[in-house]
Amino acid sequence: MSLSFLDLAKRRIVLLDGAMGTELMARGLPQGACPEVWNAEKPGLVQEVYRAYFAAGADAVSTNSFGGSRIKLAGHGLDTRAFELNRSAARLAREIAPPGRAVAGSMGPTGKFLKPQGEFTEEEFESAFAEQARGLAEGGADVLLIETQYDLREALCAVRGARRGSVLPVMATMTFNAVPRGYFTLMGDTVSRCLSELETAGACAVGANCTLNSEQMAGLVRAMRPETGLPLIAQANAGKPALDADGRVVYSQSLEDYVRFVPEIVRGGANIVGGCCGTTPAFIRAMAEILARSER
Amino acid sequence: MKSSELFDEMRQAIIDGNGARAGKLAGEAVREGLDLLEVIEKGYVPGIEKVGDLWEEGEYFLPELISSAEAMKAAMAVLEPELQRGHLQAATGGRVVIGTVEGDIHDIGKSLVASMLQAGGFEVFDLGADVRLERFIEKAEAVGAQFICLSALLTTTMVNQKRLIALLRERNLRDKYKVLVGGAPASQKWAEEAGADGYAENAVAAVKLAKSLATRRP
Repeated sequence: MSLSFLDLAKRRIVLLDGAMGTELMARGLPQGACPEVWNAEKPGLVQEVYRAYFAAGADAVSTNSFGGSRIKLAGHGLDTRAFELNRSAARLAREIAPPGRAVAGSMGPTGKFLKPQGEFTEEEFESAFAEQARGLAEGGADVLLIETQYDLREALCAVRGARRGSVLPVMATMTFNAVPRGYFTLMGDTVSRCLSELETAGACAVGANCTLNSEQMAGLVRAMRPETGLPLIAQANAGKPALDADGRVVYSQSLEDYVRFVPEIVRGGANIVGGCCGTTPAFIRAMAEILARSER
Repeated sequence: MKSSELFDEMRQAIIDGNGARAGKLAGEAVREGLDLLEVIEKGYVPGIEKVGDLWEEGEYFLPELISSAEAMKAAMAVLEPELQRGHLQAATGGRVVIGTVEGDIHDIGKSLVASMLQAGGFEVFDLGADVRLERFIEKAEAVGAQFICLSALLTTTMVNQKRLIALLRERNLRDKYKVLVGGAPASQKWAEEAGADGYAENAVAAVKLAKSLATRRP
């Protein structure tokens, strides 16, 4: 890359990709199967998704490693393959990334709780994330993207683990619910506390993803912007999922409705935007067009 | 201490999520020979109800709910053996078999609902995550459950909630159980479509829903 992904975010709005899991399911990933296994078993199909997002105009794709921590993989009996599956997730993206585009190593939550709510220690979380980061770095990721975190303590373990396992810049997004008193994580962490503690821990870009639709995300962006000087990330869901009469999954926000709020998200101060659950390469293409018209 | 003061302290111990204190106060009530059913109804239950309100108001979050549910458990662990000794039984909403449906390993929400139902006076049998549909029915039959609660986080596994209801129908067991569904992709509309008896958006709402549907155990 000529200019690093994060430097780029200081010059213009940078575009990430959309959902991964649903794209893999559309290509035949069975219900309940571990998506990360496809990095080894169906590399061509994983690359097909990466290609579709790059072709849609994403500046970076996030790797198929969201559930790739050893702790999460243990649910599928695949914990011993954590390093390898993360490395191949990044390598597959690296192989097909066009010049000047980036590979963001995705790191999602473990799905478990720290003590006292759960059984795990911070050190166990941190070392699992460090192992994941090592795999993603060795596979050729340019940056790490810690995402969909609902517990600030876990997110901080992830940032520390990411920095322990690699020298890559670390971005981190939390997922917030809108409650009567404002925006909070599941564990009750405020926007202000999350963004400032993630920055102190060493994240180079911070923000939010998942849970909220694009209209709600525009409101959250306005609430986040005054709380940090770092590049701000926003990746909204396309509303809520439901099944249609034929049993197909449909999200409550249409493409048109979703992208309608992209200019507001950008005006509110987001520097790095993309999609989350329910978004597809078509959403990213539409976002790229909007950004091209307004910014570039 | 007057019993009304003791009740206030019990209520507060639950609101504070202070299990040690909740258990100690339960011990005092036993030693003083208080009516333990009244202790539960006037001391502890108002506490857990207040916790539900605080959650709905956005004052409490998951850690507080878990601590308060644990405190409730600590109190009941002291009171229940005493009640049994007196051949008494705390008012129960009934027996609940709960789990995350097969193909889905997500269990955070399910476990929270299980804890809150238990704190709310239900007898809960938590089968964990990725539970075969067959297993829900086996367990419900074995324990004489009134409720089967099904969780799913994925749109792809949510269909298993509907499949379980079909399975109950096939075996002529549908009317025997109240089937409740929950999880991120679920909704009231989905519950109706799947033929479930109800849907709740969160753990506190789940307790309210189950209570509204509960009938006393025969």
